Amino acid sequence: MTDEMPVYPFSAIVGQEDMKDALLANIVYPSIGGVLIRGEKGTAKSTAVRAVADLLPRRRVVGGCAFQCDFLDAKNLCTSCRERIAQGETLEPVAAKMRVVELPLSATEDRVVGTLDIEHAITKGRKKFEPGVLAIANGNILYVDEVNLLDDHIVDLLLDAAAMGTNYVEREGISYSHPSRFMLVGTMNPEEGDLRPQLLDRFGLAVDVEGEKDAGRRAEIIKRRLAFERDPAGFCRNYDAQQEEIRQRIERARTLVAKLEPDERLLRAAVRISLALGVDGHRADLTLVKGAAAFAALAGRSSVEEMDIVTAARLSLPHRMRRRPFEESRMEFEQIRSVIAESYACP
Amino acid sequence: MTVQYPFPAIMGQENAKKAILCALANEDINGILIVGERGTAKTTLIRSMEALSGEKEIRTIPQNVTEDRLLGAIDIETAVTEGAVCLSPGILAEGNRQILFVDDINLLREEAVHSVLSASETRRIVIEREGFSDNVETKFILAATMDPAEGELPFCVPDRFDLCVRLDRIEDEEMRIELLRNRLLFERAPEEFSAAYEHDVVSLRETIENAQERLPYVSIPDGHLELISNLCLELGVSGQRGDLAVARTAKALAALDKRDSVVFDDIKLAALLALEHRRGEAPPPIPDTPPCPETDECGDPPHDDSHKNTGSDGPGTRTVPRSPQQCDAMESSEGTGPAAAPHDTESVFGIGSTFEVIGYLNEKSKIATRRQKSGRRTRVICSDRSGRYISFRLPGKNKNDIAFAASLRTAAPYQRFRKKRGLAISLKASDLREKVREKKTARTILFLVDGSGSMGARRRMVVVKGAILSLLTDAYQKRDRVGLMVFQGQDARLLLPPTKSTDVAVRLLRNLPTGGRTPLVKGIVEAATLLTRGGCATPEENKTVVLLTDGRGNVSSGSKDPYEELSDTAKKVAGTGIRFVVVDTEEGYPRIGMALKLAGDLEATYFRLEELDSGRLADSVRGLVYGEE
Repeated sequence: MTDEMPVYPFSAIVGQEDMKDALLANIVYPSIGGVLIRGEKGTAKSTAVRAVADLLPRRRVVGGCAFQCDFLDAKNLCTSCRERIAQGETLEPVAAKMRVVELPLSATEDRVVGTLDIEHAITKGRKKFEPGVLAIANGNILYVDEVNLLDDHIVDLLLDAAAMGTNYVEREGISYSHPSRFMLVGTMNPEEGDLRPQLLDRFGLAVDVEGEKDAGRRAEIIKRRLAFERDPAGFCRNYDAQQEEIRQRIERARTLVAKLEPDERLLRAAVRISLALGVDGHRADLTLVKGAAAFAALAGRSSVEEMDIVTAARLSLPHRMRRRPFEESRMEFEQIRSVIAESYACP
Repeated sequence: MTVQYPFPAIMGQENAKKAILCALANEDINGILIVGERGTAKTTLIRSMEALSGEKEIRTIPQNVTEDRLLGAIDIETAVTEGAVCLSPGILAEGNRQILFVDDINLLREEAVHSVLSASETRRIVIEREGFSDNVETKFILAATMDPAEGELPFCVPDRFDLCVRLDRIEDEEMRIELLRNRLLFERAPEEFSAAYEHDVVSLRETIENAQERLPYVSIPDGHLELISNLCLELGVSGQRGDLAVARTAKALAALDKRDSVVFDDIKLAALLALEHRRGEAPPPIPDTPPCPETDECGDPPHDDSHKNTGSDGPGTRTVPRSPQQCDAMESSEGTGPAAAPHDTESVFGIGSTFEVIGYLNEKSKIATRRQKSGRRTRVICSDRSGRYISFRLPGKNKNDIAFAASLRTAAPYQRFRKKRGLAISLKASDLREKVREKKTARTILFLVDGSGSMGARRRMVVVKGAILSLLTDAYQKRDRVGLMVFQGQDARLLLPPTKSTDVAVRLLRNLPTGGRTPLVKGIVEAATLLTRGGCATPEENKTVVLLTDGRGNVSSGSKDPYEELSDTAKKVAGTGIRFVVVDTEEGYPRIGMALKLAGDLEATYFRLEELDSGRLADSVRGLVYGEE
C-alpha cells in the first residue's frame, strides 16, 4: 500500500519524542497494547502513524491464508487454516510485511467484523466468509483516526476482539473465527470529546502531543515539509540511511526484549506505583513492566534501569490515573519517581 | 485453540473460583455472571473453565451476533443445492452440553440477552420465524462478564443469573508481584507455563467429575431449607429464584467437598455467591457522587485539604465545602456577604457538593427502583445506515439497506421452481428484506442555569453547582452530550454547545459567575431554539433541558408583564417535544412558588433543590431521563 506514494519518513519528523518512543516501543514489544495519541490538529499525529509502516519488521505468516495467521503461533489459527491441517495439508510460511490498516469512522459493523460473501452465495449457492477490517488488521497496526468519535457499537466490536485476540463471527448464517491480534493506534483531539474508559484502558501507552513551541524548530518542520512536497522521492532517499538505522535499532531491541528477564525490583516498582495510584485493574502494572523493558531494549541495554521505568510510567499511567471523571490524580509524577527510586534503592 | 491461562494459576478471587466450580459441578445452576472493573481477569477466568470441564467447549457469543445465528434460521446452502428446506441451528442450539460465553453482556443487544437467558432457563429454544416453527432442546452452562462502569444490565436480568460474583483488584503487594510475574511468564511461553499447572487442573477436573456423580445423592436437611428461605426473606430477595439458586449452589458445594449432606457453611457461602446481586434492602451505594476528601481512601491530611481550597482556580481542583467557613474561602476575593449578593455585582461561587443522606430514607425503595432502571440506555431504530443491524423487515420505498442474507433465506425455499440464469440463487423483488438498525442514542442534556443575583443569595449557587457536577459526572459515564447555558442580566449565553467533552463543562461551571437580573423567558426560548435547531443534534436524539432557577423572571422582552410572558412562552415551548426538568432553587419562607407554576406551564418534572441533595438530584433526573421505556 505504501508503494505508490512515498510516505513522509519517520526519521524526518522533528521533535515529538514521546510519540515516536511510544510507537517504537510497541513495535518492539507488541503486547504493550498500542498507543493513543492525544493532541490538537496539525501535530504530526497521523504523519507519524503512517510513517511507522516503513519501519515495520517482516513476519512469517501462513502461506495462502487470508488472515495472515502467524506461522509461529500454531495454536491460534483461523477456521480455514485449521481445516487445512485437518485435511492433512502442511502449512508453509511466507514472509509478509506488517502494515498500517486504517479503520475509517464511517465503517459499518459488517465491514469491521466480516460477513457472508453475498456474491459467492448468489453465484455458487455456498456460504463463504468475507473478511472484514479485523481480519486484515491481524498482525498489523490498526489505526483509528479520531478514535473518540467512533460509534459506540463499533467500539464494542473492537473491544470484543481485543479482549480475546480472536474475532468470533456469528452473523448471517456464518460461523467463523480467526485470530485478530493487532496493535491499536488511535489519535484524538480531546476537545472533541472523551474516550470511553474501557477503550482508554485498552491502549497500552498514551501520549499527549503539543505543537512545537520553539521558533527555530517550527521553521525546520516547515522547511522539511516543503522539501518533501516538492520532491517526495528525493526527500525520502535523503533519509534512507537514518531509516535503516532505526530499523536495525528495532531489530536489535526485539532480540533483547525476548531475552530480557524482568527483575524483582522492576516488578515491585510497577506494583507499588499501581497500588499507590489506585488505578483500575491489573493492566497498568503489566504495561509498565513491558514498557520499561521495551525502552531499555531500544536503548540497547539488556537490563531495565530506573530511567526506563520513569519513561514507561510517564507514557503508560496518565490515562489510567483518573479513576473518576474530573477527579484529579491522587499523586503527582514526582511521587511516582520517588516510588521508583525507593524500589531501586534496596536491591 | 489458543492456550488459556490455567485456572489454578489465577490468584485470589476465591469466591469467583468457587462459583465457577459450582457452575461446572451442578448443571442445574442457571448461569454465572462475573462482575468487575476493567482488567481484573474476568475473561481469563471464564476462558479457564474449558480446561476444567473436560469434554465441554466454550462457545463465544460475540457482540456481532445476528438473530439468525443466535436462534437458528433456514440454511441457504441446502435449500439451493438440495432443494430442501431445513433449519441451520444457531449458537444456542449448538451450545447444547457446552459452555456459552458472553463477554460484556451489558453491551449486548437487549433482545439477544433475553434470548440467551430464556434459553438458559427453559432449556429450550422456541423458534417462530421465517416460516419456521421449531422447538429445540438445549442445555448449556452460561457464563457472562460485565464491567459496571460501562452501564448496567436491564432491570431483572441480574436476577436471572443464579450466581453473581464480583472480582476485585488485588491490593496485596506481594500477591500482585506474583501475579505480574506469572502473567509475564505465561505470555512468554504459554505452554510451558500451563504444563506446570497441569497436575492441579487434572485433579480439579476429577473433583468436578466426582461431584457431578455425587450430586443426585446430595440432600438438604429440612431445617436448612427453612434457613435458606429465611435468609432470602431477610435480605429482601424478591421471587423464588434466589432460594433455588442458594439450594443448588449449596448442593454443588457439598458435592465438591465429597459430602452427601448440605451443612450450614455450604449455605453461608452459597448465599454469598447467589444472593449478593439480589438483595433489595440495603441502600445502594451511590457511585456517581464524588467522594468527599475526608472519606477518601488515600487519606489526604487536613493541611492538604485547606491548601486545595485556597488554590481553587487551579485546573480541575475540586473542593468540597463542608462548613460555611470553607465555603467562604472558596468564594472570589470580592468578599461578597453571605446573606445576599447585590444584583449588580457578579461573583463566582465554588462548586459545592451537597451530599447528604438525611431525608433520603422515606423514599429509599423508590429511589432504588429508579436506580435499577437508570442504566438502561435508550436505543432507537435509525433510518440511516449507521447503527447495529438487529433484524430485518419488508423494505420501504428506498431499498438501499438490503439485508442480503435475510433476502437469500427468504428466496431459498423457492429455488427449485425458479429460473436461475446461470446463478445459483435467483432473487425476486418480493424476496428483498431491509435491515433494521439500532443505535444507542447519545442524549443531549442542556443545563439552563439561572445566573441572576438572586441565585447568589446564601450561596445558593454553590449548592446548584454541586448538583450540576453530579449530573455531569453521570453524563460522562453515559457518554451523553451536555451543554451549559446561563441566563443573567439581559441575555442568555450558551457557554458550552452540546458536547461529549464534559471536562470542558466542568471548567466552565467552576468559573460561572452569578449576578444581575433574570431574563428567564429569554433563557427558555434560547434553550428551545438550540435544541430544536438541526445540526446540534440528530433527530433521534433525546433532548432534555434541566432548568435550575427560582422562577423569578424579571426581564421582559416586550412591553408585556414578565410573568404573563413567561407563562405564554412556557406553554408554547412545552409543545416542542423537548423534555424539561425544573429544579426549584427557591429557598426560605414564605415561598412564592414561581418555579412550580413555571414547571406546570412547561409540563416539566419538578424538583425542589431543598429536598434533593446532589446525589439524589442526579438520581432522580437520571430516573426520568433514562428510566422510562
